[in-house]
Amino acid sequence: MSATIPRHRVNVLTGIKSGRLIEDPAEYADLIRRAKRPLLVIGPLVLTSMLDGKPLLEYALDIAKAAGIPICATAQTRGRIVELGVQPDCVYDAVEIINALKDPGWRGVKKEGNHDLVMFLGVRSDLGTQGLSTLKHFAPHLKTMALCKHYFPHANYSLPNFRKDEQWKAFLDSLISNLKKGE
Amino acid sequence: MAELKVKEITRKLEEIEKKIRAEVPWEPVGCTPMPEIPDLRSWDMRLLKTYAPFYAPFCDLCCFCTYGKCDLTETRRGACGIDIATQQARWVLLACLMGCSAHSSHAGHILEFLIERHGADKKIDLGGAVNIEAPHIRTVVGLKPETLGDLVVAIEYVYKELAHLLDSTNMGQEGSYLDYESKALHAGMLDHVGMEVADIAQIVGFGYPTSVADTPLVDLGWAAVDKSKPVILFVGHNPATSTVVVDYLRENDLYDKVEVAGICCTANETARYCDRLRVVGPFSRQLFFLRSGIADVIMTDEQCIRTDMPIEASRTGAALIATLDKAMYGLEDASAMDTEEIVKQMVDDKKHFAILEPRKAAEVAAKVAMQIAPLRRKEWLREEEAKELAQKCNVCGMCEQVCPNLFNIGAGIAEVAKGKFDLIREQFSLCVGCGKCEAECPRKIPIFKIMQVAASKESWKMRAGRGPIMDTEIRTVGAPITLGTIPGIVAFVGCSNYPDIRDLPEMVEEFAKRKYIVVVSGCAAMVVGMKKDAEGKTIYEKYPPNFDAGGVVNVGSCVANSHITGAAIKVVNIFAKLPLRGNYEVVADHTISRLGAVGVGWGVYSQKAVAIATGCNRLGIPVVLGPHSSKYRRLYLSKKEEGDWRVMDARKKEIVDSGEPSPEHLAYVTETKEKAMVMIPKLCIRKNDTPQGRAVKLNHYISLHKKYMGDGLPEDIHLFVRRDPDIPLVYKKEVREHLQRIGWKPKEPVGLPTLIGTYPSKVPVDAVIH
Repeated sequence: MSATIPRHRVNVLTGIKSGRLIEDPAEYADLIRRAKRPLLVIGPLVLTSMLDGKPLLEYALDIAKAAGIPICATAQTRGRIVELGVQPDCVYDAVEIINALKDPGWRGVKKEGNHDLVMFLGVRSDLGTQGLSTLKHFAPHLKTMALCKHYFPHANYSLPNFRKDEQWKAFLDSLISNLKKGE
Repeated sequence: MAELKVKEITRKLEEIEKKIRAEVPWEPVGCTPMPEIPDLRSWDMRLLKTYAPFYAPFCDLCCFCTYGKCDLTETRRGACGIDIATQQARWVLLACLMGCSAHSSHAGHILEFLIERHGADKKIDLGGAVNIEAPHIRTVVGLKPETLGDLVVAIEYVYKELAHLLDSTNMGQEGSYLDYESKALHAGMLDHVGMEVADIAQIVGFGYPTSVADTPLVDLGWAAVDKSKPVILFVGHNPATSTVVVDYLRENDLYDKVEVAGICCTANETARYCDRLRVVGPFSRQLFFLRSGIADVIMTDEQCIRTDMPIEASRTGAALIATLDKAMYGLEDASAMDTEEIVKQMVDDKKHFAILEPRKAAEVAAKVAMQIAPLRRKEWLREEEAKELAQKCNVCGMCEQVCPNLFNIGAGIAEVAKGKFDLIREQFSLCVGCGKCEAECPRKIPIFKIMQVAASKESWKMRAGRGPIMDTEIRTVGAPITLGTIPGIVAFVGCSNYPDIRDLPEMVEEFAKRKYIVVVSGCAAMVVGMKKDAEGKTIYEKYPPNFDAGGVVNVGSCVANSHITGAAIKVVNIFAKLPLRGNYEVVADHTISRLGAVGVGWGVYSQKAVAIATGCNRLGIPVVLGPHSSKYRRLYLSKKEEGDWRVMDARKKEIVDSGEPSPEHLAYVTETKEKAMVMIPKLCIRKNDTPQGRAVKLNHYISLHKKYMGDGLPEDIHLFVRRDPDIPLVYKKEVREHLQRIGWKPKEPVGLPTLIGTYPSKVPVDAVIH
């Protein structure tokens, strides 16, 4: 969803380009499936957040597994990911992976070329917002997707502001099912 | 034209030589005494080549001029032609200028105040153990200051450069983000000169402790404040008035009858003058303490004081005196009014005043405090009262939406309404003290008042700031720091916008236990003390106050940060025996190539902090910042192994590709303390480390990685092992196996690594060799 833009842009308050708000998990799954080289960046909030008793990290790993998406572990997430039997494809901190992503010549975590879709889950929202702003302005070669509970205007694709965790959980569950259908 | 330019340069040089008394031969004058914007530009560009600016725009628009607002999204340009990267760099420069101006203006004010008191000829004497009295002024300005009057030369140089830099931010000026960054680095360097002027003047003029490590332990925490007495609270950074208040109380037999307390750096400063001062806490506790109503008289000076102070003072019936022209709040200037009349109006009419004459302000404060204290209620809120207030909450969530630290205080308030206090106690550690939650609450719930039940009533100890690191200490540690056997100097500095206030003592203790040299300053110096171990001891009571392995040193307030970077400069001079005078490039080159020092601004929020950090960066000191600092818009990040890591081997006079990303970044933000604790030891690695020193550093890097990142080795460990002796003994087998598995090849350490020689510079390579 684009921001509502006044007729005269000198009166725009905060900028003219904002992310498309998507509420349909099938549409999200479709966008992910269509990406050639997606990447999932996992932030430390996945270690402390639970959705109906299931750790958010497990949702992240389920999404990655369902669509065969490489994982970038940021902050201290690597240890827990390894404990769950998954080897992250790379370990960078949030600003480091964003710094790499904004270089179109970067070869990506699989050394097959830079990524065309970068998904974020579990980065604290202020840092995430700033990082998405970097990519919006300096990485036109890729699209960004937020999987967190709130709307991120700097992402290309974002979830809405879910008031309740149940809504978010339902979205993620459905996203995983949709991704599995396309396996 | 060419002749004119030569004449102009000659005249300028003559002026500089006169100002710095170039004929006095304490050291030869280097290439850049009193550098102007272009003079260190090549150095900056060399740094920026490896550590490219990383921008995270906080706003897509520019709204500086009447052509705008202009949308700069992606590749768009503004009406003046500016692009988004250059606009971010311009913002960063402005922030650095604000910060540098704050410190330098503080310096100028205090210098004038102290010259008025002592005369311009007052000798600078920092005690028998501090002979290099002003490492920044020596290095940048090229002057060895001997009197307070000499400090005027340094501060006037800073003022002149600030005007030039600010000029460049006007519409239609600089058009390159790299040049704006060079200017920001210039402003950062000036900031450290300004801070040094301020603190030297204060030490000399107020008789603060100097040439001593074991400064007094002062009381810390609001619970240390005896609220049965009249309480005068100082808030801000400039001790001109607070020290006069202490004098007034002493002279008038009121010293034991009136409680003096402080928040933020005026507390740090005044604690160096009077060990009976109660240090309430850092900036993030300002609003909380103000609303407790414990202060009878609030005296503001400058910087980090709430801009709604008159409203906050009136809210609790406290009296407010604004003591400096920088923040007068629209109050009547009573500097020339009769003292008794001011007191009468403050007591009877509850009027606040600006009083810019310190002696008068002190007398008024004491008299008003004595009169109004008995009339005011100063009790902490009780749990039953809090429960009643909290019951108005309908958990609408508005408070969470405006919280800059992103937590849900509403959930804590809802628990209080049920008579449960555990969650809000936990949340009090996360609170950064802005008060936005309360302002947003549609039911006007007094959240900060309710928090009184959550706040610990414990008090702690903080070691008073001690000013410069002693030359004698540098002599002891210079070699082990440079060789790497002391794994690094880690400075925890700055403000209190922490993800969690409990992070800092934990981080400090981790590195003190590991025998790093730990230095603290400003609000961080207070927060470090706000934790006790099982035996009831704070960090200041557990670790020695020496600038040595395992020591925890509080240098003092914000402006005392100059002593931390000053210590790095002293190492260059005392240990490496390189001259300082007008020799900035050589000093900075030595620091980045050979000195394992890292700054940590875990909770920085102000523009002053970005100026300090940027000054560290120009001097070659990397800085680790907490997550909020992404809002500063700019970092300096390398591309790790893909970056330019070529250095000159000054002995062989050959440029070699070291392939080693050390230090890996210059300005880096991380999200969690765990990750910060792994990055800090890595950023202490320098190309000059001896095998023994490198093994010590890698030992900490690996063990902290295992502790916080889980089992296994750091993914990039191979980049920092040059040869087998670099591998720490305890991890020898594991690292060797890993290196073998990935096909690692040993490489020769660089004999005498330097960046000088890898970029165009007036400085010859031989200048880096003693």
